[in-house]
Amino acid sequence: MATTTATITLTSTDLLTDSLSLSATQSLYKAGTTTGVSQYEMGRITIPSSDTNAILLDATAAGDDKAGKVYIANKNTDAAHYVIIAMNDTVIGRLYSGDWMFIPWSQTDVSADIEIKCPAALSTTCEIEYAFFHEGKTFTGA
Amino acid sequence: MATTTATITLTSSDISDNAISISNTSTLTKAGTATGLELCTGLRRRTFAATTIKDLVNLYKHDDEITASKAAKVYIKNVGTASDEHVKIGIGNIATGDSLDAEEIGRLYGGDWMFFPYDATLTGGSNHANNGDIYIIPSSSDSVTVEYMVFFE
Repeated sequence: MATTTATITLTSTDLLTDSLSLSATQSLYKAGTTTGVSQYEMGRITIPSSDTNAILLDATAAGDDKAGKVYIANKNTDAAHYVIIAMNDTVIGRLYSGDWMFIPWSQTDVSADIEIKCPAALSTTCEIEYAFFHEGKTFTGA
Repeated sequence: MATTTATITLTSSDISDNAISISNTSTLTKAGTATGLELCTGLRRRTFAATTIKDLVNLYKHDDEITASKAAKVYIKNVGTASDEHVKIGIGNIATGDSLDAEEIGRLYGGDWMFFPYDATLTGGSNHANNGDIYIIPSSSDSVTVEYMVFFE
């Protein structure tokens, strides 16, 4: 089995009266086990501006109720640029330039795609890097 | 303005033939600016001991705080150690029934954490079906504790 870890560190010296320093590390396991996930895919893509959601990651039956993990980073540099991240048309949030996110993705059904939109009003493209660690996916015939 | 940073490090030396190492740091800023987020809930810790759906973040209770469609961020961690038990985390309003208009994001097993941007859409009153609350559903009636924090403007 593979050993993959994800660590977050949240810090601030002036958000609160006292310093914030939080760190957490998790191993990426298959659902309900201590066996590491052994499959992943990652990439960098350019999202054209549009008012329609595009599918970044397609939910499949093999991922249903599993312990996938998704990392997405907005690599644009203009502070005003953002992408909207949604799941099955439910908006999760806006990822601004330089922001990243890391979430579990349980693919409760095949409609639970992870969707992305680079809003048309920005009149630009959005550069995204992503990684998806998972237990397997359903392949469709050619 | 405050300066708050979030850093992720994703590493594996054996998931593929070549090691992978992803590291990224973001500064938590207000939407469309370089000005740091100045508000947060503080780190909260709650324990659940039933499999019923509960609000983790109820926007109606925060309606004078979290501005929708900005650059809010949420950190959630299941601080338990049970690898065979989890909490489901999702977006939606629970007062209209069993997640009538809700979308499950994913499952945090013992030790798992997540960090994500939060749209925080508040459509109506406390039980409005389209409110983008953050809900939690434990998989077991065994006691489970989660820690969470919302950064917002």
